[in-house]
Amino acid sequence: MSIEIVIGVWVATGLSLFMYSFLYKDNPFFKLGEHIYVGVSVGYGLVITYYEVMVKKLYIPMVQGGNWWLILPTFLGLLVLARFIPALAWLSRLSFAFIVGVGSGIAIPRVISSLILQQVQGTLKPLVTTGDGGVVWFTFAGLNTLLIVVGVVSVLFYFFFSIEHTGVVHKVTRIGIYFLMVSFGAAFGYTVMARMSLLIGRFDELIEYASPDYDYATLVLLVVVIAGLVLWERSRTPESGNG
Amino acid sequence: MNDFARRMLSLDRRLIFLLIAVVTLLPLLYPFRLPIRVSPEAQKIYDYIESLPEGSVFLLSLDFDPSSKPELYPMSIALLRHAFRKNLKVVGMTLWITGTSMAESVIAGVAQESGKEKGKDYIFLGYAPGGANVIISMGQDLYAAFPTDYYGVKTAELPMLKEVRTLRDIQYAISLSAGSPGVETWYVYGKEKYGFELGGGCTAVSAPGLYPLIDTGQINGLLGGLRGAAEYETLVGVPGKATAGMDAQSATHFLIIFLIMVCNLLYFLTGQEGRRRG
Repeated sequence: MSIEIVIGVWVATGLSLFMYSFLYKDNPFFKLGEHIYVGVSVGYGLVITYYEVMVKKLYIPMVQGGNWWLILPTFLGLLVLARFIPALAWLSRLSFAFIVGVGSGIAIPRVISSLILQQVQGTLKPLVTTGDGGVVWFTFAGLNTLLIVVGVVSVLFYFFFSIEHTGVVHKVTRIGIYFLMVSFGAAFGYTVMARMSLLIGRFDELIEYASPDYDYATLVLLVVVIAGLVLWERSRTPESGNG
Repeated sequence: MNDFARRMLSLDRRLIFLLIAVVTLLPLLYPFRLPIRVSPEAQKIYDYIESLPEGSVFLLSLDFDPSSKPELYPMSIALLRHAFRKNLKVVGMTLWITGTSMAESVIAGVAQESGKEKGKDYIFLGYAPGGANVIISMGQDLYAAFPTDYYGVKTAELPMLKEVRTLRDIQYAISLSAGSPGVETWYVYGKEKYGFELGGGCTAVSAPGLYPLIDTGQINGLLGGLRGAAEYETLVGVPGKATAGMDAQSATHFLIIFLIMVCNLLYFLTGQEGRRRG
């Protein structure tokens, strides 16, 4: 195992444990990890954007490839920065006008077609189908279609505020609420699954790093963090608050 | 009974954190291998790749960064293993700048493991800024959207891309996404206009929002979260990190369901006065 990898593993393990220490309470280890995370994220984003975009997509094609027309988008990009100079701030509107104009022109027709018209089409499927065997009055796909139609219509009614929700409208909106609750439940269930997956992924690596190959990084650093938290608790006076 | 319920409800929440940690760790240390049932959405992606003739062009867009690695990295490994086993020509790329080097490492790693050659069996285009605009540009002229690949080789000179000039020359594309740009972007600006078949993989958080696209046939299949990755590993027959994590996933879900039920029961046992107090 190369020394760079072992150092990387120790840093990664230490920072993970620092972040998890927040589950005990807010503490200096967590704060250190939090600040390093913010700093490194911004730094990483800047460096990779500079190299992948400014160097690889702009400088090399322009200077080495002779694509001097790239000056135009570069100029438009630079105009956005004019916002930082109050006297020249109006120049940035040129770039924003270009971004909004082109962006809307590209997005509006495509989004309407893909995410509205095609979804409406998918909602309105036939309940009764005909085929070689004659008319089929009931299928589970038909039942699904019916459920989707009832769900869409009742939820739309729930968000229709131009009329008072009384009588039949009230009953339909109640059905809409049940559909919304089921949808929130499904979304929350998936969110729990996602968060647990992240925890599993991290634990999986922490277990791997607890092996002799990495000089027991997880175990050593876990003891260090726990000892540090004990010392920190002891050093605090009652007046310094509860964290 | 009311007092007991109230005491239980005011227990230190750190006990729950500890329980979750223990229930996650134990199955990772001592797996009990619960069976993994493959969903129709994952099966469809597998079947479609199986149906592609050798030499077909398969585009894998790794639209995520390290923060979604536990869910989408195993998915990309399983998909790449399948594609290379089928001798498909793999075009890798990303629309997420912070995921570029990770995407390169997964493609190069699995290619090496499968004995595939860079430029001939697979290429990695890297990142291009613009999200949806990159897809539109690729649909018009792939060489213009990516004049060079990630390693600086001119795309027009790559043997693998000789017959691939636009997205219309791609037989199947999959976007593994942790948000936007991702699966939806690929459908809206890519598939609908340029006519290639599209599949998706996503984090569990985004899965409910993408299911309507399956029902309408806008995407032909979906791998959702760690479970989707584990399903695909099962289909490919090479268990990996996702399969190993599924026991822990199931165990934590059981615990959370149990805690929700117990807490609700205790909440109702506190009586009206306790509920009013909160």
